[in-house]
Amino acid sequence: MSVPTQSLWGWGEWGCGNYEGTGTAPPMQGGSGGLGCVISGEVDLADEGLGLGRPADFSVGCQKVEENMGWQKSLQGSEVSKARTIYLNEPLKNNFCKNSISTAKYNMWSFLPRYLYLQFSKAANAFFLFITILQQIPDVSPTGKYTTLLPLMIILTISGIKEIVEDYKRHIADKLVNTKDIIVLRENVWKIIMWKEVIVGDIVKASNGQFLPADMVLISSSEPQVTCYVATSNLDGETNLKLRQALLETAQMQTERQLSSLSGKIECEGPNRHFNTFIGTLYLNDESPVPIGPDQVLLRGTQLKNTQWVLGIVVYTGFETKFMQNSIKSPLKKSRVEKVINVQILVLFVLLLAMSLVSCLGAILWNVEGTWYFGTNDYSSHSLGFDLLVFIILYHNLIPISLLVTLEIVKYVQAMFINWDEDMHYKENNIYAIARTSNLNEELGQVKYLFSDKTGTLTCNIMKFKKCSIAGIIYGLSPSVLTESYEFNDPTLLQNFENGHPTKDYIKEFLTLLCVCHTVVPERDEDKIIYQASSPDEAALVKWVKKLGFVFTTRTPTSVTIEAMGENLTFEILNILEFSSNRKRMSVIVRTPTGNLRLYCKGADTVIYERLSEDSLFMKETLTHLEHFAKGGLRTLCVAYTDLTEAEYQQWLTEYKKASSVIQDRMQSLEECYDKIEKKFLLLGATAIEDRLQARVPETIATLLKANIRIWVLTGDKQETAINIAYSCKLISAQMPRIQLNTNSLEATQQAVTQNCEALGTLIGKENDLALIIDGETLKYALNFEVERSFLNLALSCRAVLCCRLSPLQKAEIVYLVKKHVGAITLAIGDGANDVGMIQMAHVGVGISGNEGMQATNNSDYSIAQFSYLEKLLLVHGAWNYFRVTKCILYCFYKNVVLYIIELWFAFVNGFSGQIIFEHWCISLYNVIFTSLPPFTLGIFEQCCSQKSLLTYPQLYTVSQTGKTFNTKVFWFQCINALVHSFILFWMPMKMLEHDMVLQGGHTTDYLFLGNFIYTYVVVTVCLKAGLDTLSWTKFSHLAIWGSIIIWLVFFAIYSFVWPTIPVAPEMTGQVNMILVCPYFWLGFLIVPIVCLILNLIWKSIKNTCNRTLLEEVREMESNRVQELNPTMFKMRVEAKNVQMSLPSQPQKIVFRHESFDQSTPYGYAFSQVEQAVITQEELICSYDTTKSQGCVRA
Amino acid sequence: MSEEYISVTCRTKMKRISEDYQSRLPDNTALKQQQLPAYRLQLSATGVLSGFFAAGAFCLGMGIILILSAKSIKEIEVKYTKICANCAELREDATNFDKECTCSIPFYLSETMKGNVYMYYKLYGFYQNLYQYILSRSNSQLLGTDLKDVGNCAPFSNSHDGTPIAPCGAIANSIFNDTIILSYNLNSSIPIEVPMLRSKITWWTDKYVKFQNPSSINLSSAFAGTTKPPYWSKPVYELDEEDPGNNGFLNEDFIVWMRTAAFPTFKKLYRRLNRIQYFIEGLPAGNYSFNITYNFPVTRFKGEKSVVLSTLTWSGGSSLFLGLAYTVTGAVTWLASFSMMAIHLMLKKKKMLFIQD
Repeated sequence: MSVPTQSLWGWGEWGCGNYEGTGTAPPMQGGSGGLGCVISGEVDLADEGLGLGRPADFSVGCQKVEENMGWQKSLQGSEVSKARTIYLNEPLKNNFCKNSISTAKYNMWSFLPRYLYLQFSKAANAFFLFITILQQIPDVSPTGKYTTLLPLMIILTISGIKEIVEDYKRHIADKLVNTKDIIVLRENVWKIIMWKEVIVGDIVKASNGQFLPADMVLISSSEPQVTCYVATSNLDGETNLKLRQALLETAQMQTERQLSSLSGKIECEGPNRHFNTFIGTLYLNDESPVPIGPDQVLLRGTQLKNTQWVLGIVVYTGFETKFMQNSIKSPLKKSRVEKVINVQILVLFVLLLAMSLVSCLGAILWNVEGTWYFGTNDYSSHSLGFDLLVFIILYHNLIPISLLVTLEIVKYVQAMFINWDEDMHYKENNIYAIARTSNLNEELGQVKYLFSDKTGTLTCNIMKFKKCSIAGIIYGLSPSVLTESYEFNDPTLLQNFENGHPTKDYIKEFLTLLCVCHTVVPERDEDKIIYQASSPDEAALVKWVKKLGFVFTTRTPTSVTIEAMGENLTFEILNILEFSSNRKRMSVIVRTPTGNLRLYCKGADTVIYERLSEDSLFMKETLTHLEHFAKGGLRTLCVAYTDLTEAEYQQWLTEYKKASSVIQDRMQSLEECYDKIEKKFLLLGATAIEDRLQARVPETIATLLKANIRIWVLTGDKQETAINIAYSCKLISAQMPRIQLNTNSLEATQQAVTQNCEALGTLIGKENDLALIIDGETLKYALNFEVERSFLNLALSCRAVLCCRLSPLQKAEIVYLVKKHVGAITLAIGDGANDVGMIQMAHVGVGISGNEGMQATNNSDYSIAQFSYLEKLLLVHGAWNYFRVTKCILYCFYKNVVLYIIELWFAFVNGFSGQIIFEHWCISLYNVIFTSLPPFTLGIFEQCCSQKSLLTYPQLYTVSQTGKTFNTKVFWFQCINALVHSFILFWMPMKMLEHDMVLQGGHTTDYLFLGNFIYTYVVVTVCLKAGLDTLSWTKFSHLAIWGSIIIWLVFFAIYSFVWPTIPVAPEMTGQVNMILVCPYFWLGFLIVPIVCLILNLIWKSIKNTCNRTLLEEVREMESNRVQELNPTMFKMRVEAKNVQMSLPSQPQKIVFRHESFDQSTPYGYAFSQVEQAVITQEELICSYDTTKSQGCVRA
Repeated sequence: MSEEYISVTCRTKMKRISEDYQSRLPDNTALKQQQLPAYRLQLSATGVLSGFFAAGAFCLGMGIILILSAKSIKEIEVKYTKICANCAELREDATNFDKECTCSIPFYLSETMKGNVYMYYKLYGFYQNLYQYILSRSNSQLLGTDLKDVGNCAPFSNSHDGTPIAPCGAIANSIFNDTIILSYNLNSSIPIEVPMLRSKITWWTDKYVKFQNPSSINLSSAFAGTTKPPYWSKPVYELDEEDPGNNGFLNEDFIVWMRTAAFPTFKKLYRRLNRIQYFIEGLPAGNYSFNITYNFPVTRFKGEKSVVLSTLTWSGGSSLFLGLAYTVTGAVTWLASFSMMAIHLMLKKKKMLFIQD
C-alpha cells in the first residue's frame, strides 16, 4: 500500500482533546473510519498481514507483530528521511513541515473526489455503480434508466452527510490545537503566537503546566541545574515525571539578546517515532560541537511540570514530531460477521450470475418460432452478451443495496447506546463509556479470550495500608464489614503505643522504620505534604505512618527528617541498598539522631526470615499473621532492623566502594556486597497492603468465567504481584494447582512444557482447574516455533493463565498467538501505553480511561472507566448487538431474495425475455422506503432477552459467543426460506389471477396487476416476517412493521394517479382503483402471507417445544414472570437446562503432582518498584532537596 | 508577555472543555438506556395452538364459501382453432390477409346462465408479456398529445416512407381482430343475434385518463399525418363503424388489448350481454352458435384461440384455486396444531415425570 493512500485514513482518528490530555474524545470520533469502510478493500491491511504471518523464528515473529499493527508501514516515508540541519536564528534557511496538524480526512475541495473514491472502492458500491452505468445503455435495462442511480445516490448521500459531520468535528478539534498560544522569540522579542505558526528553529519559551507545541532541544530553564520535569503520560503512559537537563554550553542563554545573537546550527537525525532516542550535535560558532542526546529533548504532547519556564529550539514540527509519528490509528479492524457478510455477498453475486446464465439459457431454449406479433418471425434473442446484461440488471437487486448503509446506521446507534449507558458511567470522574469505533459492536458478543492488563485495569493502582503485625500482635482486624474498602483503622495500635504497652518500643521502631526506610520524596505544597513515590507501596506505607503521627517531612541528599509525635528527628542517610526483584528487599543504613548506626530493612518474608538473628522474637506469630494476610490477598512485607557497629560499617563501606566502581556486572557485585551487611536482623513485624482492586472486579471475573470467557492476565509486573492479584480477584483459588514456568533457556522451556503436557495427558485441550504462570523470559522461548504449539495447548488447557514481566510487544504476541491458532474472538483490555500493542492486536481492544495517559484509550476500540463495566459491555451490549446485527443482516438478505427471485419465477412464464413484473420505481424503492424500517428496528431495538437475565445467567453469552445464530448454515437456511417464500408469493397470486376473471364488471387485468398483487403481498409478508423475528416489540417495531405496509399502500394509491400529470409510471395508472376493489386481492391479502409464514411459525413452535435452548427457557420465564412468583423453581429449571446443554464442562479435578506444580498456600509478598532505571534510586533521591524551594507552582 | 496571561487563557480553555463535557451528559431516558417498554413475543403453547385453531377454522370456512360460490358460476369455453381449421390454415400465410374467412360453431347451452354474462376471447401461447413487446408502445402518443412520439415503438414506429404509425408499436399492431357474434337459435330455424354491448369493457382510468384522442374537428383529420399499423386493415379512426364514439384511441377493444396480459394464456373481455328481450334473465338454455370472422393467426406460434362465456359472482370467476387454497391451508393448519398439541402434551407428561424424579 502506498503512503498517500495510508494518509487517507491514517490520521483519521485524532482529535485534539485526546492527545493533549485535557478532555475526553468527542463521542464517536472513531466512528467514521470504521463505518465508512464496511467492505472497503482498502482496509484489509491488518488481515492480509495476518494471513502472511508464518511462524518462523522468534525475531521474525516480533517483526510480524509490529508490522501487523501498522507501525512500520505507516512510517515508510519517515524512516528513510535523512538527517536535518537546523540553523539558529536563520528562519529562512530552515524549511520543514508546518506545525499545524490536520487529522481531518477531507477538506472543502478534496471531499467529493476522495469520498467517492472511498465509497466506490467498496465492492458493493462499485457493483451498483456498474449497474447504473449498464442501465444507461438503451434497451438493456428492463428496470428503467435511473432506478439504481436514485437509491445509490440516497445511500451515498446518507453516508456522505455522516462523513461530513464527523470530519467537521475533527476540523474543530484540529483548530483548537492549532490555535493554542505559545511564546516564541521573533525579531528579538517574545511574541505570543499560535501553535500552527511555530516553525523549526524557533526559540520557544514554555512555562509550568504548559503543553509543548513541538519537539525541541532544551537550551535553558529556570531551575538551578538547568533541569526541568516533564509529564510524559500522553506519550508512554508512565505517570512518573521525567527529568531533562540542558547542555551546560547553553545553560546561560536566557535573555532575548543572548538568544538572538545565538548563531550556529543543530544537526540531528530525521524524524522518527522512537521516544527514547535522539542523536544530534550542536555547533555553536567559535565552539566545539556538542552532542545532544535524548536527555535534552522535550517532546510535543508532554507537559512541563515543576519547572517555572524552559527555553527550547524547535527541531521537529507538526507531523514530524515523535508524538504525531506515534499517533497512528490502529489498523482498522473488521468484525468476523462483516467478513462473513462479504463472503455471502460474493455468494449472492455468483448466484446472480448463475441465475442470469440460466435465464439466458432459457431464452435460447424458449426461442419459439412464429412470434409474428413481435415484428420478426421469431423472437430472435439478442446476442448472449446482451441478454446476460439484461438479466444481470434484472436480478441485480438480489444483492441488498441498502445493507451496508443500514448496518452503518444501526451500528452507529448501537455505539451511541454504549456511549449513553448510565450503568457504564463512572460517576467519580464523570466518564462515560465511549465506542470509538462501531464496526466491532457485534464482536463484543463473541469474545472467547480476554487478555487483561493488571495494573490500572484490575487494580486501581492505589495501595492501601490495611493491616500490620507488630511484635506478634496483629492490628487492623476491624471486624466491621463496612470499612472493607477503607484504610487501616485500628485505634488499639495508638492506644498500645501511648499507654505504655510492653511492645511500645517495637511499635515506635516499626513506625520509625517505615518513616525512614524508603525512596519517597516529600513535596511541600503550602502546608500540605505530597509524597512523590515511584513505588505506590512505599507511598502507602509513608502515608499511613503519617496518619499515626510519624510524619516524614524533609529529605535532603544526606538526611531525612521526620516528625515523630511532634518531635523532630533527623536521620542521616548513609546508604540506600536498593530494591531489586532478585533481592526482594531494600534497606537503608542510617545514623540515628542518637548517633547509632542502624540498618533498616523491609522485604519479602522469605528473604527476611533467612536473615533473622537467633535473638529475633515473634517469628512464629508473625509468620501466622503473614499467612493470614496472604490468604486475604494482601501484599505483605516484613520489616526488620539491625544495629551496626562503626567498625563493621567502615569495613563494609570500603567493600561497597569497591563494588560500586566495578565496571562489569556492577549490579551483581553490588548485590553481593549488600548481602554481606544485611544479616542478623531483628524482626519488628509485617505490613499488609491492599493493592486495591477496582470495584466489583472479583464478581466481574466470576461472571465472565461463567460466560465461558477465558481470562488471561498479561502484566509487565512481577510474578509475585501478579499471583497476588490473581488471588485477590478470585481468578485463581488457593486450592487450584499452579503450573509455574520459569526457565531461562529454550531446552529447559521445551522440557518443562512437554513434561506438563504429558502430565496432563488426556486432559489436554479440556478446561482444567489449573493456573499457568509464566514469566516474560520463559515466554520468549515458549513462543519459539518448536515450542509454540505445545505451549499454546498447555495454556489452553488451563482455566487461568498469568503472564508476568512481559514487554508490550510480548503482550501483543500472545494475543496474536491465540488469535492465529485458536480462531476465537479475542479481547484485550488495558490502560497504559504498554497495552497499546495488544489492544491493537486483539479483535477487540478495550481501553480503561481514567487516570493514566490517553494512549491506551486512543488506540482502543471501546473505552470504559472500570474493569467491571466489561460485564455489561460484553454480556449485555455485546450479546444484544450480536443478535441485532445478525438478525438485521439475515433479514436484509431475506427480503431481497424474496422479492427478486420472483423475477426469476416470472421469467418462466414470459419466455425469459427479461420483462420485469413490478413497476420500475416500486422495485427500486423497495429497499430504500417500503422495507427499510424493519431492519432498523431489528438492528436497534431488538432484545433477545432482558438485561437482567443476561447478567443473571451469563451462560446465555455462549449463544452469541459460539455464533450459533449467524453462520453459513443459518445463511443458507434463510436463503432457502426466502426462496420458498418467493415461490409461494409468486405462485399463489399467479394461480389466483390465471383465470383472469377477478374484477367486477368482467374486466380483465394486465401483468402489472399481477405485479402489484405480488408486490403488496411481498411487502406484507416481509414486514410480518420481521415481526416474527422480533422478540421484543417496542413501539418502534409497531411503527416500522405496520407503518411500512401503510406507506406502501399510500404510495401505491398516490402513484396510480400521477400519470400523465407527472410523466412517470403510465402503466400504474388506475391500478389502485381496480386492485383495492378486487375481492381476490383482499382474499389473497389474508391467505398468502399466512401460507408463507405459517411454515416459519410451525418450524419455530416445533423447535420451541422439542429442542428448547436456554435462551428460550429464560425468555419464557421472563414473559411468564415466573421469576417473581417462584424463583427457586425458575432457577432449578434453568440449571437443569444448563446441565442438558453441556455448557462449559465442569473443570476437571487434577489428581497428580508434578515438580513444577505448586499447591502451597499463597504467598503474599509483592512490591512494586521501578528497577534498572537510567538513574538509580539512590541517585534520584539524592538529587532532591526539599528544603530548598523550587518556587514552582504545581499544576 | 506575562505568564499570567497565558495561564488565564489556559484556564478559560479548560473551562470551555469542561462545559463541553457537561453538555455531553446523556439524559436518563428509557430510550437511551434501552429500557423501552416492550412486548416480548413469546410463542407459548396455548397461544400458538389457539391461534392455529382459529386460523384453521377461518381458512376452512372461507375456503368452503369460496368453493361453493365458484361452483355456482356457469362458464362455457369453445376453442375454435381446430374447428375453423381451414381458416387457420389460410391465416398461416400472411399474404392472404385480405381474404375473408368465416366460421360458425354451434353449441348447446344446457342450463340458463343467469345474471350478467360476459364474453371473452382467450388466446393460448400468445406472449403479451415479452419484454420487447411490452416496451413497444408509446404512452404519450396514446394520450393524444403528441401523435408523432413513436420513440419506443420499434419495430413498428414508422412505416416504410417514414410516416409515424398511430397507434404505434408491436402491441397495437398485433390487435386481436376476430369478430365474434353470438346467435341464439330460438326455434331451431331463425337464429337471432344475441344483443351484446361493446361499451364499459375497459378500466375507467384507461378510457378517461390513459387514452385520449387528439383533439380536432373529426377523427380522420386528427390522425392526419400518421398511418395505420401495418397489420391493420382499417385505420384507427374507423375501428367501429356503428358507434363513432368508439373510435380512435378510445376504441374499447383496442384499449382492452393494450393492457398486456401477465401470462401467455389469457382472456380478454370482448362483449357484455345486453339484457333485453329474451335475455333479461341472462342467457337461456338452448342452441347457440358463434359466428366468427377469423382473422387473427395463432397457428404460426402454435397457439390456440377460444371464446368464453361466463357469469360472475361476488368474488369473480369460476376459479376454484383460492377456495382450495383456503381449504387446504385450513386443513394443514389444523393438522399441524393437532400434532403440535400431541407433542406438547407428550413433552409435558415427560417433564412432569422429570420433575417428580
